[in-house]
Amino acid sequence: MEINRFNTHIIPIRFDYHAPKSLEEAVRLLGEYGEEAQILAGGTDLIPKIKQRILEPKHVINLKAIPELACIKETSEGVKIGALTKLRTVELSTLINEKLPVLGEAARAIGSVQVRNRGTIGGNLCNASPCADTATALMVLDAVARIDGAEGSREVPIGEFFDGRGQTIVAPNEMLHELTVPNLPEGTGSAFVKVGWTTFDIATVNVAVALRLDDGKVVDCRIALGACSPAPFRVRRAEEALKGKELTDESVKEAAKIVSEHIEPRERWRRAPPEYRRKTSKALALEALTRAAEEARRLAK
Amino acid sequence: MVQRDFRILGKKTNRKDGVAKATGREVFSSDVSLPTMLHARMLKSPYPHARVKSIDVSGAEAMGATVVTFKEIPQVRYCPRLVSVPSATYKDWLVLTGKPKYVGEPIAAVAAETEELAQRALEAIEVEYEHLEAVFDAVDSMGMEDLIHEEIELENEVLKVDKNIGCTLEITEGDVEEGFREADVVIERTYRTNRRYHNQLETKTAVVRPEPDGGVTIWSTTQTIHNSRLLIHDIFGIPVGKIRVMKVALGGSFGSSIHVNPPVPVAVALALKSRRPVRLSYTREEDHHDHSSYQMVFKLRLGAKEDGKLTAGHLDAILDIGAHQIQAYPLLGCVVGWWVSLYKLPAKSYIGRAVYTNKVPSCAFRGYGNPQITWAVETLMDELAEKLGIDPLDFRLKNYIGEGDLFWGQGPTVKSIIQSCGVEEILERGAEMVDWYNRPRPEEQTGRYRRGIGMGRGYHTSSAGAPVPSSIVDFGGAFLKLNEDGTLDYVTALMDHGCGTLEAHAKIIAEELCVPLESVNVITADTGTTVYDVCTHASRGVYSGGGAALKVAKQVEEKIREYAARMLDAYPHALKIYCDEEREQGVVTAEGIEDRSVTYEEIATTARHKNWGMIASVDSYRQPSCPPHFTGYFVEVEVDTWTGKVRLEKVIAGADIGTVINPDLAAGQIHGGLAMGWSMTTLEDTRYSPLDGDLLNRGFINNYKIPSTQDLLDLDDLTVFFADTYEPTGPFGAKGLGEGALNPVAGTVANAIQNALGIRFYELPITPIKILKALEEKGG
Repeated sequence: MEINRFNTHIIPIRFDYHAPKSLEEAVRLLGEYGEEAQILAGGTDLIPKIKQRILEPKHVINLKAIPELACIKETSEGVKIGALTKLRTVELSTLINEKLPVLGEAARAIGSVQVRNRGTIGGNLCNASPCADTATALMVLDAVARIDGAEGSREVPIGEFFDGRGQTIVAPNEMLHELTVPNLPEGTGSAFVKVGWTTFDIATVNVAVALRLDDGKVVDCRIALGACSPAPFRVRRAEEALKGKELTDESVKEAAKIVSEHIEPRERWRRAPPEYRRKTSKALALEALTRAAEEARRLAK
Repeated sequence: MVQRDFRILGKKTNRKDGVAKATGREVFSSDVSLPTMLHARMLKSPYPHARVKSIDVSGAEAMGATVVTFKEIPQVRYCPRLVSVPSATYKDWLVLTGKPKYVGEPIAAVAAETEELAQRALEAIEVEYEHLEAVFDAVDSMGMEDLIHEEIELENEVLKVDKNIGCTLEITEGDVEEGFREADVVIERTYRTNRRYHNQLETKTAVVRPEPDGGVTIWSTTQTIHNSRLLIHDIFGIPVGKIRVMKVALGGSFGSSIHVNPPVPVAVALALKSRRPVRLSYTREEDHHDHSSYQMVFKLRLGAKEDGKLTAGHLDAILDIGAHQIQAYPLLGCVVGWWVSLYKLPAKSYIGRAVYTNKVPSCAFRGYGNPQITWAVETLMDELAEKLGIDPLDFRLKNYIGEGDLFWGQGPTVKSIIQSCGVEEILERGAEMVDWYNRPRPEEQTGRYRRGIGMGRGYHTSSAGAPVPSSIVDFGGAFLKLNEDGTLDYVTALMDHGCGTLEAHAKIIAEELCVPLESVNVITADTGTTVYDVCTHASRGVYSGGGAALKVAKQVEEKIREYAARMLDAYPHALKIYCDEEREQGVVTAEGIEDRSVTYEEIATTARHKNWGMIASVDSYRQPSCPPHFTGYFVEVEVDTWTGKVRLEKVIAGADIGTVINPDLAAGQIHGGLAMGWSMTTLEDTRYSPLDGDLLNRGFINNYKIPSTQDLLDLDDLTVFFADTYEPTGPFGAKGLGEGALNPVAGTVANAIQNALGIRFYELPITPIKILKALEEKGG
């Protein structure tokens, strides 16, 4: 009977709506209603899911009235980004574009301007989609997520944020508060590349790279692959293959090939068969590595 | 001598509905809200083929909802499209059915105080189904034992369905076998098109108010108010005059509302039962489950001699029509018409079959089969030229059908002679602009990005008019009166889909009657206050509808002359009419006699005071022809051989539309046609899950991609030009454009991709996935 339920127009269910003004209040509400609640940030994923009846929360907790959740600031630990920061803000932030250009690129690759004006970076992560563009970028930035809950705060590296089964490790009575992105070592080149069917589309494959050269040899290399497995992940074997090596056509091609060997086909992959993802993940890795290397060489001069 | 120098036509003007649309004040069907109105939802079959064993609506009724099921709706077999005569109209629809034939077919409906309550009531209905075998491919369907329809109707006679074939058309002209024997080169290919969703901006809606006299008033998304009235009369038996179908703005259609939409009779049934006004407005997902284009499988064979002359052709067309016919029979005629009217084929044979499947019903979609068959023809013409060693452009120039040639685009019953043709001009100018003869060669290209230039032709009829009666109804009508201040009120039943068609009518009237465009008011009307117009389709809005507007304008002009002659004491034929820009009026003057002139305002006022009566005219009009408007596109693409993605780099689009009435809107039609064609070629397909028979995307458009402006090209790289032609039968020489703007795109783009990669594709869409696969098979 799904056809008679699924739609993006009507919300026939009833829920209580909460708009906490402070973090403490939000955490308290989560403690109280956690299992039956959904957090509303930008709403670009939550509202369609409610309309489609994928989620039927009894409580909706809107976090938009908490000002400190939407900010980007520079600290001694690195750049801190509040979970409620709009993707459009991330994309346009001078600080992000100077310090973490790969994240700016990833944010810019999401949806349309309208979607990015509503969608938040926290929402992009908490939706736990394997295609989340900012997640792939944050992987190569070694970001750390701060999660708040009734029992206090905890910090989780972004690589452990997704449980590999289409969920995050954020418990029902917790919420993502902010991301800390440690400063990148001087001279790091980076790139984010994506392929989707249209400009507004989610990723069929995305790849992020950050690397640093010393005397022409790779000293630090981070490669993340998105949309090809239950969650975006770091391709350690490809990173290792490049470390200490010069970036030649051959070594880059070899690393890209390793990336393409990490496709984990899903049963219901409607968008593209594994073979296409294999080929394009290799192509995108090649492109991202080449672009990041060019930038690293330019910075080294 | 024909008039080519115009005061208003061809000038850029502001749209009359511009302010209302830009400020959100235009009223569309879904904006109509009436006191005490109920909100309706339809219960749709979750199975592709089933029989309802039992249905329990008590839960919904307990919530206070009004419910109608298939059991209490008149079981009248009907066809929702009334454009052709009854002998060409197969009937197999019921308003609500107990034997659903596709996922989404309505079996019941509810109306309640709010949409949310209606949704909850809908979910409370319990249905038990018996599953039947379903089929999702037209070719497979012809081999099925279980029939989708056992019986259908034609002219009130019950027909048995054989092999799930809804209807068939076969035509042979000339000695085809001999034609192929004469040919030096013969190529046959099989082509498979996609099945696309219209994605019109406004989803289908009906608002129905029951009237105290037993009639109904209807506001609905439609391309034809009069056919809506006739169908409701046929189904419910309400006298025609007691059914009023109102004109409301239509938020795009592309053929999806060429027929009377399912929400209309369902909302009528709910309104009659509840005695309250009812609004039934599709969600986007329901709209996706309501209509699609026709998927076609063509086996096309063409033969040509060494000198580049075509000798013969054979086309076998299998149309996947989905679960119901929306006049598939005239479409079979159009497919052969589109095919044989592009190039001269001394001998040709055709077999067309419209086949049922358990999929969303197919209906007209901009081009009515023309984009599909033209893709196949233009792909094969390129391939033939290649094999003959003739340039593809020269090959087309040797064979095209042009001025003085017989033409039967709208099918074998609609033939006429072409009287205006800009094909040569389009192809020659386009070739020069794109530097055609120096285009890239696929074998010379290596590396990640490859460039290709392709060209393709297209055309479409303007209307379905003909010099003799045909199987298609094509006439319209108009009403025009001169107001007391010298302005004019224009009333027509013809629907404007948002293309500015009525704007064009107003310009035609203003041009003919020498008044400022602002003086022509386009009045909203309904079936009770207009004469019949068949439908806005077949690119007939300007040519046919504009023809009717011109006819009544000429009649009004005659009366203006008659009254002015009395006032000026002059002979009517010696009077001259001009537009006095200062007085913003039409003025009638006795030629050569100074000081003897009267304005329209003076004429209208005098006529009132002297009791001469109001100057007005109402009439019907049928065009004697359906002249083709021609298009020829040249595109440059860049193919990324790493990802398989294709980018549009440059487009040169030439069109012969006769006199250009609205230059910006005409260019806009070409932009839109290009975007839609690009989407058809590279992106779209409504795929079905073999597991549950539902659309794979479940109707969600986030899983049905169409391009945004960012996926097309910069407007600086898109050149539109119009050929210098004049159609003698058109209003002031004008023809249509809407469909011809789309028809050449798929062939053109496919040829450009071939030019870049050296690979031909025989299945649409040409996706990145298919491109990478084909590149791998070719070895890079």
